[in-house]
Order: sequence, then structure tokens, then C-alpha cells
Amino acid sequence: MSEILNISGLSAGYGPLRVIHDLDLVIRKGERVGLVGLNGHGKTTLFYAIAGLTGWQRGSIMFDGRQIGRTRSQGPGRYTHKIVRLGLAIMPQGDEIFTGLTVEEHLDSGAFTRESWRNRARRKEEVLDLFHPLRKHLKTPVGRLSGGERRMVSIGRGLMAEAKLYLADEPSLGLAPKIGIAVMQALLKIDLRESAMMIAEQNVALLEGRVDRVIGMHAGKLKGEASVALNIGRAE
Amino acid sequence: MDITFILTNALVVACIYGLVAVAISITWSSLGLINLAYGFVFSFAGYGAWLVSGLTGGNPLMVAAAGILVGALGGIIICLVVFIPLHDKPNFTIRGMTGTLAISLVGSQVLLWQFGPRAKPLPELFGFWKVSLGDIVLTSDKIGIVACSILMLAVVLVWMKSSRRGLEIRAMMMNPHAASIVGIGIRSTGLYVMAITGAMAGLASILLSQTYYIAPFSGLTPLIKGVSIALCGGLGSVQGAVIAAVILGFVEALTSRFLGGQYVLITQFLVIITILIIRPRGISGLLDKAREQ
Amino acid sequence: MMDTIQGQITGEPYVWRNPLAVWDSKGGNHEVLTVRVPNPNSIWRENTAYKAKTYKVGRLKHYVIWPANGERLWQRWRWWPTRRNLLHIKGQYNRKTLKAEKEIIDRRPIYWAICLLALVLAPMFFPVGLENTLLTAGVIFGVFAAINVCWTLIVGTASIFSLATYAVVGVAAFITSYMSIKLGLPWWCLPPIGAAIGLAFGAIIALPALRLDGFYYALLTLGLNELCRVYFTTSKEFGAASGGLYGADSFISNAWSPYAQSLVSYYSAFGLLVAALFLFRFTSGKRIGRILKMAPEKREAFAQATGVDYRRARVTIFLLTSVALGLIGGFYTALYRGVAFSIFGFDTVLLGLAMLTIGGIGKAEGAVAGTLIVVVLDKVLIELGPIRHIIIGGIMMTVVLFLNNGLYGMKRQFWAWRDKKRGEWRSTRTEKGGEALPEEATETDNKDLLYFRRFDKNQRDYLRGFICNEIIEEHKAKPLGQHSEALERVLLYFRRAPMDDKYAIHRLGPNGLYRIIAVAGRRGISPRVVEDKEYGTIEEAYHGVFMRRVHDLLES
Repeated sequence: MSEILNISGLSAGYGPLRVIHDLDLVIRKGERVGLVGLNGHGKTTLFYAIAGLTGWQRGSIMFDGRQIGRTRSQGPGRYTHKIVRLGLAIMPQGDEIFTGLTVEEHLDSGAFTRESWRNRARRKEEVLDLFHPLRKHLKTPVGRLSGGERRMVSIGRGLMAEAKLYLADEPSLGLAPKIGIAVMQALLKIDLRESAMMIAEQNVALLEGRVDRVIGMHAGKLKGEASVALNIGRAE
Repeated sequence: MDITFILTNALVVACIYGLVAVAISITWSSLGLINLAYGFVFSFAGYGAWLVSGLTGGNPLMVAAAGILVGALGGIIICLVVFIPLHDKPNFTIRGMTGTLAISLVGSQVLLWQFGPRAKPLPELFGFWKVSLGDIVLTSDKIGIVACSILMLAVVLVWMKSSRRGLEIRAMMMNPHAASIVGIGIRSTGLYVMAITGAMAGLASILLSQTYYIAPFSGLTPLIKGVSIALCGGLGSVQGAVIAAVILGFVEALTSRFLGGQYVLITQFLVIITILIIRPRGISGLLDKAREQ
Repeated sequence: MMDTIQGQITGEPYVWRNPLAVWDSKGGNHEVLTVRVPNPNSIWRENTAYKAKTYKVGRLKHYVIWPANGERLWQRWRWWPTRRNLLHIKGQYNRKTLKAEKEIIDRRPIYWAICLLALVLAPMFFPVGLENTLLTAGVIFGVFAAINVCWTLIVGTASIFSLATYAVVGVAAFITSYMSIKLGLPWWCLPPIGAAIGLAFGAIIALPALRLDGFYYALLTLGLNELCRVYFTTSKEFGAASGGLYGADSFISNAWSPYAQSLVSYYSAFGLLVAALFLFRFTSGKRIGRILKMAPEKREAFAQATGVDYRRARVTIFLLTSVALGLIGGFYTALYRGVAFSIFGFDTVLLGLAMLTIGGIGKAEGAVAGTLIVVVLDKVLIELGPIRHIIIGGIMMTVVLFLNNGLYGMKRQFWAWRDKKRGEWRSTRTEKGGEALPEEATETDNKDLLYFRRFDKNQRDYLRGFICNEIIEEHKAKPLGQHSEALERVLLYFRRAPMDDKYAIHRLGPNGLYRIIAVAGRRGISPRVVEDKEYGTIEEAYHGVFMRRVHDLLES
């Protein structure tokens, strides 16, 4: 079974607002998928729906052979920790960080699942190799870091978990272009082995050619497959 | 009265109330719940220890363990009844506080119903011996109380600092939403927090019962004192609570030495109000952003 | 060879012959391979078929409607010297029958009148054996309801979470009884003196309220309450030994019969309640209440930015209420000839908070109803014993667990829940094409626009069904002239596109190459270049535009 994630007929939204419309998506092991779309077209909501953080959702989400998409309308985030423990790592948009914890504790906090906790020293080394600027700040509270370093911490925290699927939500958003590119390249360098990764991004140029697939997202639906099939509308 | 005697008394009282204050503080900062049912947990743990001491013939270790465990049980009950159903509902803070008050209303009535209004004594846990340091005489129960509460506090703080669960609790204090994203279950962590803080209140109850008796409503004074100390130190701050406990203990001691016992509460509240007017979030309270719901 | 996109093409490709070919049509194809076009109705039928289960929507308006005729339509009852209406009534004509009618918008005054009247008449209907118990309970109900109405004013309207309300009442009651006993003050002096004490005490405890917020203040006042209890129970002046301070002057004469005494105290407590309700109405319902509604907790900064001085309003209400509470304290002394220490007890605060939360914080009716429930449980069903408090605690717990804001918040909570569910159901059922979200659809005035969007969406779905390599080839061969039906339908749709962002061809100089541009559709804004590619001939450029449009069609 090579499918990590199989979404079918997913609709999700907040209250009367429906953001995702009947979406189907399959992600296989070892795949790195780029999710491209403008602001407000449902990229973050798709990630939140996978994590069970939207207001309501309907449809099926099979994650590693287990159904995690329940038809649910109460309490966003009620099952998130359980889904995360199944092997999902989320690198959220913005700075969802714990301001008072140090960088080291922060990285540890990414490895709360039982298996990852045992291997956390090794994973920490790998993450620090990837984001070497963090090495000299290990004992600093995260609240005192700069924006780029914070983003590295929050992405590093996601990478600490031995997850089957990594969701990176706009890793370069709000960063200076140079740092943004560095962060993105670090993400693209990671050896995925058995897991898969989804990267949401507004800037296609950062992803093109470096990921296995680019999927467009428009008004809560995936797009881009048709034009690929006929190979039209592109500059030859 | 001897000034050293008063000062040691103040230290003992500060230790006991400091435990309750730290418990209130931790509960508030990690769960956002203002738990006013510690008074009930206090009496509940005391009665549990009393029952066990009746069964075992007053073995000190057993009694202390029973008190701590029953206190933890009380905390878990509060968590199950109030925190878990309410934590994601609107107006959680007000409703949570009212819910804990309802528990304390029901709980103390049940205790009254079950055990009657007569106060119950607990056996002496620390024996009867004395240590003389120069002209200061320290009785066994004072040393025991101070040692036990400091030990408990140290154990809790070290556990919070170094273990995985402790890290979870501290992460949840900072940012509950991000905590759920990294796989921390708010409800299960809530259970741990309430069990730990309940155990602290249980221990405080056992220690206090070395000087006072256990009665259905005996938890009220420790609760009020604990709340005042937590408030003065800043809700959510452990070191603030410790500092405030020491300050208020000395205020109590000095007042009863120089003004008389009935003015203790008045001077204490004057001190608390002064501190709060100068620093509205207590001596070292969390900043506004840390927990605003 | 059949390169379908969505598998909707019906039938095999066939060879289409240009009917104009016999006249040697200029520029058009003569014979070309194309596809059969499905019936345009088919996609329309499929898209508009409603597969989801439907539910009834809309809501019933439970307004009381009276018939009226002629000038009576505009007749109002008014409070005599003013022009204020007794009831909020709207005169209107029935939309269907065009009959004149009056609609009562706000029925609460009617309910209040009925309930207060019931309280006035209640002593006549008390069962014979229980008269004494019920009258005593009624007095307690009146006094506590008055206190709770004031408390809800502090907690709900002024958003100051004070738990020291009973402490204010108790302090005023204790000092007035002390003065009455020692100085021999007559009973009518006691309420005003109580009010002055309430003002002084309120001013002292309002001081920290200016600096502290929400729960810090609640916990502080809880401590203050305990402070008062300890101070009064231990001090010798206030009768530490006797459990209270009794012997003050009262307006109830001991010479009267016991029943007359109870009756007088019942009606005086009722009068107190009515006075408290007036206070509530004339603060919460007037300007100062409006100001505070603009500045609920956590949004003070916004209110301040709009020029609302919420601190001043809060402290004003707090002081006003403290005066009222002090007055109630003095009245309490005059009613009971003294006061017991239990007024400072933690249990009293708990029961009071139970009354408030059961009814719902911030509403006078909530405070009164909660008090009624708790007092009936606590004072009338005395034979139940200690279980009473357990039942009260249980009710409080249930209310806190299930209701957002007590019994009187139930309606709003139900509406909110229903609206949420309705929104979710509706938004999962937008399968009529998804051309417009349901909320957007209900909010647009121009319903033509919605219908056009639906039509356009169906048209696009239909056309998308037969875009294939055959017609692309056909267009590539001859962009102009007569085309097969499939291509002709696609081209007609393209030509009908609105002007903004429509593609056009731009020639670079009289003999230059061609480039595709898009017109802005608005005056004064120059067209933008769509792509860098340049075409050698006009036909190639035509085909380039066609391919762009096909691409846009497939992507939409």
C-alpha cells in the first residue's frame, strides 16, 4: 500500500462558509507535492481539515489506511492530537510557537509521540544540521529570536516528529526573500524515505521543478490536471 | 511572644499556603481554569487520610500517601466534571470558575452529610522531638512541614522542568492551539495537571491538619489564603507565588506580634491591594498575551 | 484517438462537410473530422437535479398580532406625562390581506406586569398551614432578589466581577444596627445611613477595580468578603458571642398580630424588589447602560478609541449600586431588627452566585428567577435537610455545563446553535453548481446575476464536454469561416465574453509580428501583454487566442 493520504469528497469550512468543495486528492509514499494557490483559496483550510481543525468537515480522509475524516461539526481541534499521533507533522502558517520555551525544548516538543521521543537526540542533530543558525541559540527562549529563526524553529519542530506526512504551510511567508528561499531549500533537501510532504506556497517559482507534483488550488478545488493532460495553454 | 517563634510560625504557614497558591497558579496558567474547589479538595483529602489512619492505626507514611492520593483523586474529579466538558465552550473562564464553586458547594455538603459536623484529628506524622539551634527551638512538626512542602514543590518543579509531561504542560501554558498541533491532548494533559495540583493541595491539607482539625468547611481559609497569595504573586507564576507566600507570612507574623491577631487579615489585604495597585498582574505575573481567552 | 477530457462526448467522431463548400466558402474548411454535440439540455438537467435531502428553512415569527382599524392603528398607550410608550407596538397592514393590524414587538413588559401582580396577590392564595413559611420565604426572596438585581448590574452591565456584594450589604447592616442599638436611631434613619456607608465602602473597593481586570478582581473581592467575615465575627463591639447583632429599631411593631407582621414585611420586601428593578431599568436600559454595552470585556480598547469613557461609566454604576446595596443593608436591619454573621459566609456568596448563574448573568429577569428557584429550594422545602444544598449545587452545575448564560440565555443559545447547524447544512448542499455560495446568493439584490452565473456555469460545463483535439485541429486549420457545430458553439461562447480581460491581437507595426494582449475593459487603462510569444501570421495569432480561451475554459 503506497498511499499515505487519500482524500475523497472532502468539504470543509467554518460556520456558514464553505471553503473546500468536494475535493479528491491522493498522496503516495516518498512524494513531495507542492500546493499552489492565491490567498483565501483554501490551502490552509485543506491542511486544517486533514488535522481536524476546521469548523466542520464532511467526506473521507484515509491517512495511512485509517479513517481520520469524521463528519464532525463540533469543537475544532478535538481530535487533532490523536491525528498528529498517527504520524502527521504540521508546520503551521505564522508563528505558532511557545514563546517561553527555549529552542531546545521547542524542538523536543515536536517529538511528543512516544517513538519520536526516544530518538529525539538523533533527530535534533539532523534538524540542527539543516538549520545550522539555530545551533548557537539552543538555550535562548524562542520569543527572543528573529522572524526567520522563529520560522526555522517552527519548521524544525515539525521535522522532529517521525511523521508519515509533513504539511508545511507557506514556509517562506513573511520572510525576507533570501531567508525564505533558504528555508524552502532546506525543506526540499530533506530525505523523505517512507514519508511524504506537502508544501503550500503562493510563489510557484520557488517550487517548480523541485517537487514531484504541483497542484493548483482555486476557490476550494484542485485545478491544473486538465491542462496537464492536453498540454495546452502553456508556452511551448 | 518570642520573635523567632513567630517567624518560624510564619515560615510554616507560608509553606502550607504556598503549596495551595502554587497549585492554583499552575492550574490557571496551564488550563485557564480558576479552581475555587481546592477548599473541597482540601477537606476531601483530609477525610481520606483520616479514614486511612483509622484503618492502618495511624502509620504516618500511609496517612500522608493517602492524603496525597485522595487529593489527586479530587483534582481528577474536578477535571472530569468541569474542565473536560467545558474547556472548549464559550465563556469558559466564568463558567469554569462557577462550576468549581458548584463542586465545592455540593462537595462540602456531601462531606458534612457523610461525616457529620464534628472535626476530626489526624495523628502526628513527625513524632515529638525538638532541635535547638542556639536559643531557637524547632519542633518536629515545623521542620517536617517545611521539609515536606519544599520537597513537594521541588519535585513538582523539577518534574515540570525535565520530563515529557512537564514539557507538555508548559507548552500548553504558552499556546494551547500550537500545543494541539504538536500532538498534545488538552484533555489528557488537563487530567495530569489537575492530579498533580490536587496532590499538592492534599499534601497541604495533611500538613495543616498537624495544627488544625479536619472539618467539612475547613478548606475555606486555606483556599482564601492560597488565592490571595497566588493573586499577589501573579497568577501563573510559581516563583511569584513563593515570594508572595513569604511576604504574606511575614506580614502575618509581624502583625500578630505588634498589632494583635484580629488585624492579620486587614494588614494582609492592605499589602495585597497595594501590591496589586502597583502591579496589576501581581509580583511576577504573566504578560497579557500569555493567556487571554 | 478520442482524446476526451471528461468523457462526456457522445458518439464517434464523424466527418463534417461544410454546407457552403459547394459555393466555395471563402476561408472555411470543406471537410473536417469533428465530434457530435450532446443535447444542451442534458447538462442543465444533470446540474440542476437536486440530489440532496432537503429541509424546510426559514423561521416562524411568534409576534402577537392584534386586529386594528382606522385611526386605532396609530393609537398608543403612554406613560402619562411623557410621550413614552407602554408597549413597543408597530402598526402595519397585513401583506396578504391588507388589513390593518398591530404587532407587539416586545412582550416583556406584559410578562413583568403579570409576574409582579402574581407576587402581589400571592399571599391570598397561600395554603393555610404553610402561610408562615411561605411569607418568611417571600420576605427573603424579596430582599435577596433586590440584592441580586444590584449584583447583576455590577457583574453584567458594569462587567466588574465583584464577589463582595453581600459584604457591602452586611457591612451596612452591621453598622446601622450598631448605631441603632447604641444611639437609638429610629428605623427610618437606617436606610439612608446604610446608603452612605455603602457609598463609602463601595468607593474603597472600587479603587482596585480601576486597575485590576476580571478574575484578579473576583478573587480579591472573595478575599475581602472573608476579611469582613473574620473582622465582624471576632470583634467585641459587634456581638461576637451571640451569632449576630440584634435589637435595632424596626418599622414593624411587635404589638401587631404575627400574621400582620409577616404581611407587612412581605410587602415591604416586595417594594424593595420593585425599587431595585427600577434602578436596573434606569441604569442598564439608559445611556450609561448603552455606553457599557459598547465596551464589553476584552474590547475596551476599541470602545475607548470611539470615545467611550467606559471606566467612568463602570465606576459610576458600581458606586450607584453600592449606594443601593447599602440602602438594602439598612433596610435589612430595619426589617429584621438586626443582622446575623451568616451574611458574610462563603455559603451565602455561593448561593447568591448560584442564583445569578441559574438565571443568567446580566439580566434582571434572570436574577429574579434564579433567586426564586434557590429560595424555594432552600427555605420552603426545609424538610429535605442538607440535600437541599446538594440539589442547588447540582442545578448550578447543570446550568453551567449546558447553558452559556443561564436560563434566560437559553433562547439565544438555541438560536445560535440552530443558525450554525443551518449554515452548515446549507453550505454542504451547494451542489446546484456551486456558482454562488448560499449566503452570497441571499445577500445579492440582483438575482439576475445569480441566474446568469448559473447559466454561464452550465454553459461552460456543457462546452467543456466536447473540447477535444479534433476541434482544436479544425480551428488550427481554418480559424475563420464556417465551422462544425461543436466548434461553432465553442466560438460563439467565446465571442460573448465580457470586455474586461478579453483577448485581442496586436500587430507590432504595419508589417510586424502579432502579439496577444488583453484589454482592460475600462477607459483609460491600457491593455496588458499576455505572453511574450509572437506570431508570424494573423491566423496563428487567432489560433493562439483560441487556445488561451480554451485553456481558461478548462481551468474555470
